[in-house]
Amino acid sequence: MRTSKRQIQKLNTRKKIIETAYKVFSEKGFSVPSSIIAKEAGVSHGAIFAHFPTMDDLLISLLSDFGDKIGASLHALAKKSDSAENLLKEHLKVLEEYEAFYSRLISEKTRLPDEAKNTFAIIQSTVAFHFASVIEREIEKGTVKKLPIHMLFNTWMGLVHYYLLNKDFFSDSGESVIKRYGSELLSAYLNLIKK
Amino acid sequence: MKTCIACGMPMEDISDFAAGDPGKDYCVHCSRPDGEMQSFEEKKENLTKFIVRTQGFDENAARKIAEDMMRKLPAWKKYFD
Repeated sequence: MRTSKRQIQKLNTRKKIIETAYKVFSEKGFSVPSSIIAKEAGVSHGAIFAHFPTMDDLLISLLSDFGDKIGASLHALAKKSDSAENLLKEHLKVLEEYEAFYSRLISEKTRLPDEAKNTFAIIQSTVAFHFASVIEREIEKGTVKKLPIHMLFNTWMGLVHYYLLNKDFFSDSGESVIKRYGSELLSAYLNLIKK
Repeated sequence: MKTCIACGMPMEDISDFAAGDPGKDYCVHCSRPDGEMQSFEEKKENLTKFIVRTQGFDENAARKIAEDMMRKLPAWKKYFD
């Protein structure tokens, strides 16, 4: 079946709204009114509601896209029976790509609607799933200390989140914290957990 | 590519499928030792335990996340309608 011109236009508008919302949320936070997103995207205010009945729907859609992306890249690596080092490198790579959005997400999480919080919890659980499968293999091999999985995972997340949440102290003029400190965080963490 | 109807995991290799059978719609993690799919309650408890083990969350919070995960998956949709 051929896609009609009207359908193509509809898809393009949706894409534009999602891309703009991603940028605006990253820069200004999640409480930005929909009228600003419409203005920045160059679409009518009504067009936003035609695609996303509520602002929550728009946020969930963005979160799901981010979750799919992080899930897919970690899944591919974890399957290859790769090392913790490579898995965490990939984790940092995805976080760097989405850094502004992700930093907003973790700093404003408590104020987000329940469904968005749940979606975020599911995304983190997917990351934990891949982390656990790789790190358990390393523990079995004797290359990583035998510590509880949740402490190994939470220590890593705590370290990365601390730098992201204090970006204003760790970096200057909007420079990526992950880009600047990623390799230092990774090597320090690996030194802590390796036998 | 097929994804598991009970947990959403992508299934690429034969070893990903329940009982190594690519005809199955669910994965090796969602099946019982005999190859049958786990029940709703079994899956919910397994997911909850998994979240507690890997992230250290409170058990009730973990159960809530497990339910939210399952809500979106075709195998369990009817339990939430």
